[in-house]
Amino acid sequence: MANIEDHGGQSKAARAVSGGVLLAAGLVISFFAWGYPTGSLNQMGPGFFPQTIGILISLLAVTILIVDLRHPALERPSAIQWRGLCFVSVGIIIFALLVERAGLVPSMFLAVGVSMFADDQAKPLTVLIYAITAAALGWLLFLVGLELPIPAFWRL
Amino acid sequence: MLDQFILGLSVVMQPNVLIYAFFGVFLGQLIGVLPGVGAITAISLLLPVTFYLDATTSMILLAGIYYGSQYGGSIASILLNLPGTPSSVVTCLEGYPLAQSNRAGLALFVAAFSSFLGGMVGVAVLVLAAIPMTVIALKFGAPEYAMLVIIGLLAASMIGTGSQIRSLAMVVLGIALGLVGADATTGYYRFVAMPELADGISLVSLAMGLFGVSEVIRHASRRPMRGAAPLSVSMRDVIPTRAQAKSLVFPIVRGSSIGSFFGALPGTGAAIASFMAYAIEKRFSRKPEKFGTGHLPGLAAPESANNAASQTGFIPTLTLGVPGDAVMALIIGALILNGIIPGPRLMVDQPELFWGVIASFFVGNIILLLINIPLIKLWVLLLRIPYQKLYPMILLMICVGVYSHRTSVTDVLLTLAFGILGYLMKNYRFEPAPVLLGFVLGPLLEDNFRRTMLLYGGDFTIFVTRPISAVLFVCSVILIVWALWSCLSLRRKVARTSP
Repeated sequence: MANIEDHGGQSKAARAVSGGVLLAAGLVISFFAWGYPTGSLNQMGPGFFPQTIGILISLLAVTILIVDLRHPALERPSAIQWRGLCFVSVGIIIFALLVERAGLVPSMFLAVGVSMFADDQAKPLTVLIYAITAAALGWLLFLVGLELPIPAFWRL
Repeated sequence: MLDQFILGLSVVMQPNVLIYAFFGVFLGQLIGVLPGVGAITAISLLLPVTFYLDATTSMILLAGIYYGSQYGGSIASILLNLPGTPSSVVTCLEGYPLAQSNRAGLALFVAAFSSFLGGMVGVAVLVLAAIPMTVIALKFGAPEYAMLVIIGLLAASMIGTGSQIRSLAMVVLGIALGLVGADATTGYYRFVAMPELADGISLVSLAMGLFGVSEVIRHASRRPMRGAAPLSVSMRDVIPTRAQAKSLVFPIVRGSSIGSFFGALPGTGAAIASFMAYAIEKRFSRKPEKFGTGHLPGLAAPESANNAASQTGFIPTLTLGVPGDAVMALIIGALILNGIIPGPRLMVDQPELFWGVIASFFVGNIILLLINIPLIKLWVLLLRIPYQKLYPMILLMICVGVYSHRTSVTDVLLTLAFGILGYLMKNYRFEPAPVLLGFVLGPLLEDNFRRTMLLYGGDFTIFVTRPISAVLFVCSVILIVWALWSCLSLRRKVARTSP
């Protein structure tokens, strides 16, 4: 990999990621903000500030792009931990989808159970015991202790 | 001033308030001990809880977590050479060698006691500065506030760790996120991509995503980053000898002064204060060669500095309503969510809250000193909990906390989105803390800027013709020039060293 590029071992495209994504965000913000009424300096409309912010982000993004492309020894971004990212995300999504349908206790159980597999040394039995304990503790804390107005189980 | 402080003490001494002060500092110490969970994560997690409390107890609770974590951070540094908080990095340098030479008890005692003295000096400076600062701040109009917010944002991005231009971009991104929802002046909907966003992005979602979910993703699959904690700590020779104690007086005085100064400035905080205190102690020591081998003054100075700084950090937060860093921004955010507008009117309109919070620091530091050493066995036990057993619980707190805040599934999904964003950002060397600061300060900036322009007929020169505003303007120009200069000189250095 090191011999692809002389400086830092990263291709031009890889170096442009941070600035490029930020530039896209700045342009999207500017695009939407341009539809809002700008007003005048002494009577600013709701669009004035967002437009300024959109332009500012785009300018900063271009600067970052230039700095990164010309930097002699750009630090390589750390590798993405896909396992952690996937299991944690799925755990939260399950919670979000189930909490209003199945109730708090089952969604807590599943969210904890699934997210524990983000740890690559997780064993199914340990996860099961831990998730049951977590759901029980969560029920005690949130429903019995804090009396949050969320149903524990569907229809109950 | 003493009267007000006594008023504050009478607020804190109510049992139902005292219990939250205790709970806050206890939790803070606990969080500080646990590597991988910082004060900002803990405060984010507890934000929803504060909606069930009144403003005073929420502030006391959240603030306690913050300065309590400074005490706890040094325990992991001394015993494991792993800083629990950024401000206890330098504590490792002297603390760990002491622990290795079987003097962990002494190191813990000195750290706790210097922390306590530093914290007390910080509280004293806070009490002394509060009234004069408020008197000045009450003279501030919209132009001064706009400039003050700009300085806060610039300082946060220029001084912190990492690339300045990247931090500045993150501040602006945070401001952009704060724009979502109805415009405060006209009620016009901005960036409302879905109806659930009409009320804006919730601070709870943003904070829990950026500092909770992203950290869980980062550490969940990674194997323990720490060695095994010692089973027991030798508690022999805990109390320093008379000669040792004498050698610590001036380091603690210097450390507390440095900490009090840097804590009150925007952008700089406990971490920078502790580094400065250590560097200065080493520079002016008659025995610089002893640093790094378990030299007690090198432990006492930064410990007193970071605790003093974590107290004086509340000066701009409480008197001006302008937070100096992301933790303070969260605390301000909690205040706003409780329906209280931070700013100089706080002391005038809500003296019980204002002085109660300050007096809670005084009480909290005493509690921290009392629970630190006697509970050392508990803290050592905590050090042995692996992160893999901790994060599912953190995730649970995040899910239920965010959902219950506005009973909104969208908020839970948004939290995940911010979590992934925060995770990827950090991989690409963007810090998440400036985003939060921009998010909290953005509306304040827009409001004051628009009001200035309205009041003074769109005249930009108003920022330099009003005296206080002009001073603030010059400060911000100096900040920008200094940042550009240091950025350029760094580039030159890099260019020279690389072939």
